[in-house]
Amino acid sequence: MAMLDRNARSLLLLEIAAGMWLTLKYFFKPKVTINYPYEKGPISPRFRGEHALRRYPNGEERCIACKLCEAICPAQAITIEAEPRDDGSRRTTRYDIDMTKCIYCGFCQEACPVDAIVEGPNFEFATETREELLYDKEKLLVNGDRWESEIAAGLSADAPYR
Amino acid sequence: MPKVTVDGVEIEVPDGVTALQACEMAGKEIPRFCYHERLSVAGNCRMCLVEVSPGPPKPAASCALPINEGMEIKTDTEMVRNARNGVMEFLLINHPLDCPICDQGGECDLQDQAMAYGRDGSRFHEHKRAVKDKHMGPLVKTIMTRCIHCTRCVRFATEIAGVPELGLLGRGEHAEITTYLEKSLDSELSANVIDLCPVGALTSKPYAFVSRPWELERTESIDVLDAVGAAIRVDSRQTEVLRVLPRLNEDVNEEWLGDKSRYACDALTRQRLDRPYVRRDGKLQEASWDEAFAAIADKVKASSGDRIAAIAGDLCDTESMFALKQLMGALGSSNIDCRQDGAKLPAGSRAAYLMNTGIAGLEDTDAVLLVGTNPRWEAPLVNTRLRKAWLQGGAIIASVGPQTDMSYPVDNLGAGPDTLKSIADGLHPFAETLRNAERPAVIVGMGALARDDGAAVLAAVRALADSCNLVRDGWNGFNVLHTAAARVGGLDIGFVPGEGGRDVAGIVSGAGAGEIDMVFLLGADEIDMSGLGDAFVVYQGHHGDAGAHRADVILPGAAYTEKNGTYVNTEGRVQLARQAVQPPGDARGDWAIVRALSGVLGAGLDYVALGDVRAAMVAANPIFDNVDQVTAADWDDFGEPGEMGTDSFESPVDNYYMTDPISRASETMAECTREFVAGDGGRAGTDG
Amino acid sequence: MVEFWWSYAWPTIWIVIQILFIVVPLLIVVAYLTYAERKVIGLMQLRMGPNVVGPFGLFQPFADALKLMTKELIIPTGANRVVFLLAPMLTFILAMVGWAVIPVDEGWVLSDINVGVLYLFAISSLGVYGIIMAGWASNSKYPFLGALRSAAQMVSYEVSIGFVIITVLLAVGSLNLTDIVLAQQDVWFFIPLLPMFIVFVISALAETNRAPFDLPEAEAELVTGYNVEYSAMAFALFFLGEYANMVLMSGMTVILFLGGWLPPLDIAIFNWVPGIIWFALKVSAMLFVFLWVRATLPRYRYDQLMRLGWKVFLPASLLWVVVTAGAIVVFDWYPGVVN
Repeated sequence: MAMLDRNARSLLLLEIAAGMWLTLKYFFKPKVTINYPYEKGPISPRFRGEHALRRYPNGEERCIACKLCEAICPAQAITIEAEPRDDGSRRTTRYDIDMTKCIYCGFCQEACPVDAIVEGPNFEFATETREELLYDKEKLLVNGDRWESEIAAGLSADAPYR
Repeated sequence: MPKVTVDGVEIEVPDGVTALQACEMAGKEIPRFCYHERLSVAGNCRMCLVEVSPGPPKPAASCALPINEGMEIKTDTEMVRNARNGVMEFLLINHPLDCPICDQGGECDLQDQAMAYGRDGSRFHEHKRAVKDKHMGPLVKTIMTRCIHCTRCVRFATEIAGVPELGLLGRGEHAEITTYLEKSLDSELSANVIDLCPVGALTSKPYAFVSRPWELERTESIDVLDAVGAAIRVDSRQTEVLRVLPRLNEDVNEEWLGDKSRYACDALTRQRLDRPYVRRDGKLQEASWDEAFAAIADKVKASSGDRIAAIAGDLCDTESMFALKQLMGALGSSNIDCRQDGAKLPAGSRAAYLMNTGIAGLEDTDAVLLVGTNPRWEAPLVNTRLRKAWLQGGAIIASVGPQTDMSYPVDNLGAGPDTLKSIADGLHPFAETLRNAERPAVIVGMGALARDDGAAVLAAVRALADSCNLVRDGWNGFNVLHTAAARVGGLDIGFVPGEGGRDVAGIVSGAGAGEIDMVFLLGADEIDMSGLGDAFVVYQGHHGDAGAHRADVILPGAAYTEKNGTYVNTEGRVQLARQAVQPPGDARGDWAIVRALSGVLGAGLDYVALGDVRAAMVAANPIFDNVDQVTAADWDDFGEPGEMGTDSFESPVDNYYMTDPISRASETMAECTREFVAGDGGRAGTDG
Repeated sequence: MVEFWWSYAWPTIWIVIQILFIVVPLLIVVAYLTYAERKVIGLMQLRMGPNVVGPFGLFQPFADALKLMTKELIIPTGANRVVFLLAPMLTFILAMVGWAVIPVDEGWVLSDINVGVLYLFAISSLGVYGIIMAGWASNSKYPFLGALRSAAQMVSYEVSIGFVIITVLLAVGSLNLTDIVLAQQDVWFFIPLLPMFIVFVISALAETNRAPFDLPEAEAELVTGYNVEYSAMAFALFFLGEYANMVLMSGMTVILFLGGWLPPLDIAIFNWVPGIIWFALKVSAMLFVFLWVRATLPRYRYDQLMRLGWKVFLPASLLWVVVTAGAIVVFDWYPGVVN
């Protein structure tokens, strides 16, 4: 009986029909795709995108060259050199991130005691050459200036959960 | 030998130790900030609290607690933990939370002990205090807000360095460590307070913000900027030496290090010879190794052995001198000398050129005569031993020669050979002092020996040693204080003129007179270059100094942090310096250059590796087998009595901060010279 | 001169015009079939499909064509150049010439020959040559394997297609395609011959190398099989050929089983619609099934494919030939006699 049942099912193509029915249902379902370059999906405040070095509201750069991010970086993508600035404060003379090494784990922003290095919401920073992905301090500070409002909003949205 | 119980374990401890030391002996770690083995006990940080019975039912500061028979110490009870926790909380009340910008971060006692013994959060919501930073000179950077008032720096300056210019003013909240008058800390040992400071209040100024301890590669090596051979740790990152720190070596430097040895390392990246040069048309031009060797080979072939000479400088490793000596021998030259200052030291008798008492042995002396030397500048770490002998043993110290502040009272008996002679002849009252002393010593410096009448001075000191009975059973009070790290090693391998050979003065005058065609300078910069006349000068070294300016061919060698080499310090201790970084550019290790040159000259040395050179050195002189050991020298006959001149003895070092090609190239040393030597020492920090 | 014009030149020109009337719409259909395929499969996978080039992505096929035309034609060093270039042309041309006998409406056919079915059968069988030539001429492993698979697969399924066509022929009594369509005025053959219809549709998938029988070009195993070494227009010709074949097989299915250009019911409203519209709608429905199947079913294993062809379809279709023939004999339903 079971054999008859099985053979009847395969002869009548029931399973294929069921499968076809399923795909046909999906054919009419609303689509989840978003029209990417023109439409973007929502991003978590914790999103770890392109790096940026932030400034204080008065324009002073936050980074104090403590090198904790360099130490924690599992990919060793960060290189920092520091010396006293003219006013005696501790500042970096070099802050490089090799974005081709970076694994976007976010440890650097976790390690940062002054919220200077952050991973902002920007994920559209593909470049045409590899060299453009070797970020220096200037590039990171420009990123920080450009994305400051988004970064600050993200940090304050996430603050209650830290 | 009282018996005490530490955490239930009974141990026997020597008389007079403190509870803290007893706990250390029992293997228990006691946290501390103010206590330091080499400083007096202050007992003001209260971090070392333990529970002691019999005694009052309260925690006791173990560092200041003498041991009694049957004492029971508990280091890990609830009370002790609470006490330490409370002390730490108080210490942190006024300590700023600026670890990220603090250079001590990562190697900070307060950080470590706060992790181990502190709370996880702060209950202090009031304002923290802030303290104005003090000016302590070009080496020590102060961030006084971080100070926890352990007073280690004050005690070091007062007790070890002998410059009581630091102190604690005010009480409680208003206590401040200060230099009183905003003066620089005028001591050649000043930077040791940085190591002593358990927090980041005193940090290294030249090294400020440069690096973090976890980035550094550590290499244990030997300092060569004076003849003491202090144990150092070279901290490097990639190709750059970033700092030099002292290592513990009780026999040599304890745990101190002179400022020059510590801070001249910035010169290791400046004025370096990083490729061979050949002088063409009167100008030094970049060349390849082959071209440089070919230029030397041409000159050597056109000359003969007795018209070639070699001088070894003050920073050379013994291996390269040994190889060069063999090369010169193969070329038929006996014109070699390692005493570029012209010191009249005999190579044959080892006792004649060693500090026979030993550096540590100087602590035990009770009467010392300094002849033509200023140990404070020639060898600060020898000076700390003399100061200790005076401070702890009440040693009587007198000098013949320059009258200077040596951080302890020195009775200046006279300035020149006359006084020396009168003591040697027993006419001077100090001869009596020496004779009656239990452990008398004489220290003769290069200021007395590097003179035309140096041999006679040496003989006079020898006569003094004999007449004042300085050499006794188990005690040898005859000491030579060298200023060059390479000197004893050079004398040990016999890098001195052979039969009929010329010494340094002979070589220079010979070159000036055209009797010497070629002079090979192995890092020798201290001779009179203008006297070399038309001789063809080959300079092998690492810094562009006097020798390199005069040279016709420059062979770039390695500085002491860039090669493995053997050095023998002034007491005859054979020590190994280790390579921390690669030599810059085309530069190579020195023995290897000599080896390669020998191949081009057809006088092949058959060494393949450094070990081969060392084996040959050991075969030539067995003392090189006893690494890190002093091989005591036999008290044999030396000294040729002669007529001494009348000039007074002068110290060879007129500027502690610039004595050699490395320190002369150092920016930090230049600043120290401006600050301390050129007379700006009184400049206040606010003069800016 | 006039005689030459009317007896030779004009008929030739007329035929060329007629051919163009078939081929140009056909190529446009093929172009939009690629678009439809991406769109349909996309929608079934909850995606959008192409939607960037032009409104709803409607210009996508032209963008693709432009891309393919401007690309570099690479001929591998070890390839047999002549055969290598001949293969895509052959595939393309064969896919086109089949349309010579397809009636898209009553009388709307280029060549209404009496052996139309045989002609179609022959032409579609020749298609395998293009693939074999491509696989062999590429002088490369994967194309060769793909070509071998393709040959074996097409040969296997043509056998059952042959039997299916025989059952239809038995029911019609003519090899003329117009006759076959007209024979379905009462009832479309897919109703009485339903099992054969299913066998034919499935075999058509295999015959056109479509999923789930796309083993010759199986990306995962053969990195697209016989056309690995092809690029630019040569590749485009294969592509066009394959899709034209799909349209051709759909057209054949419509003619054999779905009543060609006939409306579903012989009533006024349906009869107002021209036959070619019905034909086009039916072909489109068939093509949708092709794409639908591709979106639904995974690829067969090769032994499953062979088993299905030889051990299921062949006996089944053979049996149905016998049954049909028997029924015709027993009930005296000889074609032509029934009417």
